[in-house]
Amino acid sequence: QGLKPIVSTESPALIFGTTTKLASDLPATDSFLGKNKVPDLQKLFQQADGLPVHLKRGVPDKLLYRTTMALTIGGTIYCLVALYMASQPRNQ
Amino acid sequence: MAHQAHSYHMVDPSPWPIFGAAAALLTTSGLIMWFHYNSSQLLALGLLSMVLVMIQWWRDIVRESTFQGHHTPTVQKGLRYGMILFITSEAFFFLGFFWAFFHSSLAPTPELGGQWPPTGIHPLNPLEVPLLNTAILLASGVTVTWAHHSITESNRKQAIHALTLTVLLGLYFTALQATEYYEAPFSIADGVYGSTFFVATGFHGLHVIIGSSFLSICLLRLIKFHFTSNHHFGFEAAAWYWHFVDVIWLFLYMTIYWWGS
Repeated sequence: QGLKPIVSTESPALIFGTTTKLASDLPATDSFLGKNKVPDLQKLFQQADGLPVHLKRGVPDKLLYRTTMALTIGGTIYCLVALYMASQPRNQ
Repeated sequence: MAHQAHSYHMVDPSPWPIFGAAAALLTTSGLIMWFHYNSSQLLALGLLSMVLVMIQWWRDIVRESTFQGHHTPTVQKGLRYGMILFITSEAFFFLGFFWAFFHSSLAPTPELGGQWPPTGIHPLNPLEVPLLNTAILLASGVTVTWAHHSITESNRKQAIHALTLTVLLGLYFTALQATEYYEAPFSIADGVYGSTFFVATGFHGLHVIIGSSFLSICLLRLIKFHFTSNHHFGFEAAAWYWHFVDVIWLFLYMTIYWWGS
């Protein structure tokens, strides 16, 4: 993984085949597949804003919550109507 | 802000339990409407709301643990007990279907021709794709253990490689099993042989899909640095579930595929 921007005094003309020794120089939190955003998220979710965890991120959480509520509550009403109709005797 | 004098997690009020219950109502009623009245809207609504609730509930658990730090060792112990009990309940679920298989196959009735496999049934050759599937799941058990060791040794790249390989093996199993289902010379309607075969292997396949999904979420969290070398219970739970799925397959293979052919 010679792709990490390491602070180095070598010239930038590193040949890929000779970078194997750099693997041991990589710190545990290297940038293989993205960098660590957990500390920022920890700060976000620990803000003392009184919001419950399911709404803590603001607008996207609210939208998803309202969509789920609409589907479940609307669906429950539809379900009760459907079951009421299904329980009516059908005479030929 | 008041601080608690205990190490348990008092969760924030959450709508997901009741919405989940409503989703279960919609799904079960939806099945009735689909079976008896050929109408699938309610079922679709139920499955959609179930998926939405699952995503948000588990998302919140990740927030509470990784981002808010509520999963103390005490809490983690409770989660371990919970996962063990859940897997045990699933084991009993499969036990029922194995019972059904042995009930019919140990004393085959005259209607079946007094033999097992019943007259006219050509079972799948256990040494063909089923054997490959066995090798695939066993290999995936090795790769998931490799991933676990890599996590505890803080080797991020290797952990990602091993877990990716595990997920790919799981998907490969599912794809192969799907082609087997398509190509099988018998169907679920072919007497008790078809019923026991497809219900047992079908529920197993569903659990492989669930396990693969669980592992995929763990892979995503692994890439996003959620796990530490000594706190990664989500991954351990997925690995336990995956080993369970593997063991069930081994029993299925030995009994239904091999002894039953």
